[in-house]
Amino acid sequence: MIVGEQKPIKEIMESVAPYKRVLILGCGTCVKTCFAGGEDEVEVLASALRLAFKTKKQRSIEIEELTIERQCENEFIQEAAAGIGRNDVVLSLACGAGVQAMAERFPAAPVLPGVNTTFIGIQDRPGIFSERCSGCGDCGLARFGGICPVTRCSKKLLNGPCGGSQNGKCEVDPSIDCAWHLIIERLTELGQLDNLKTYIPPKNWQTSTSGGPRKLVREDQII
Amino acid sequence: MKTNNKPKITLFYCINAFMESAPVFEGCSIKTIKMACSSMTKDIFLLKAFEAGADAVLVFACPEKQCRYVEGGIRARKRIEWTKHLLDETGIDGRRLAIFNTDIKDPKAAGKIIRETIELINELGPNPAA
Repeated sequence: MIVGEQKPIKEIMESVAPYKRVLILGCGTCVKTCFAGGEDEVEVLASALRLAFKTKKQRSIEIEELTIERQCENEFIQEAAAGIGRNDVVLSLACGAGVQAMAERFPAAPVLPGVNTTFIGIQDRPGIFSERCSGCGDCGLARFGGICPVTRCSKKLLNGPCGGSQNGKCEVDPSIDCAWHLIIERLTELGQLDNLKTYIPPKNWQTSTSGGPRKLVREDQII
Repeated sequence: MKTNNKPKITLFYCINAFMESAPVFEGCSIKTIKMACSSMTKDIFLLKAFEAGADAVLVFACPEKQCRYVEGGIRARKRIEWTKHLLDETGIDGRRLAIFNTDIKDPKAAGKIIRETIELINELGPNPAA
């Protein structure tokens, strides 16, 4: 899922300050799971903003709350149309893709981000999320036992560990597991340690963002 | 019981941690919310209490390690810490929100907490968003 965290109240207040009627628009998928932008977070942010405006700005603000299933898909976005029409601005609690989808779909409405999109990751346990994928566009997980060195090795090494790994932890930060320690353990368990005999040439980053914004085309799905 | 001049306190309490009695609430205008467990406390309920005009919000949870749901008090405490941070961000002041472990058999201790909270409100002034 896409992991994000809500922006500080102060920053959000500054961005909505010029507007009187604000629609806080939640997204019921990824950002809901990471407690950044689902229905509950919309409700809490609305309450916090009302309190903050009364306290600091000495004025009230009209806030409408709505959460749709997904802000990154047109089918769901339409549900927000009426609410957008009633308000001066949309404060989107979706990821960056959701915010941009809303802005494209409703060009006349200012759409502001309320969340900092952080990474593609998983929930390790309740309340703790960690990065797993960099979206490099050329997945090599098959060679590495399902553990991505591009994302999880701090140095993005593809041909084995550096000399700084200690007791399975990374020298960059001892709270980070050494990806190569994990890869070797996993490949040993799978009986695939020989995978590491194959030299991996320097990564071609053209499939990542180095070539500019990426686009995926599926001809068979185009109507 | 309500008067405009008295500090307004909203009290969320676990039914196993506190029993309501009038003397405990002397000197304040109190609104109470009874819960089956302090873990039912959520950030939004606490914020709404401030929106409704509370000068301070208290949560009474069972003494440590005596929660019948094992970790109810721990969860409540974490949520209160989170909400205090939100209150600081909004300018309300996180000190207006607090959680205490109270013993249902010790109403005097609860009364002391209420009195200290009234003193704190007198020091901080009324809820700035009220």
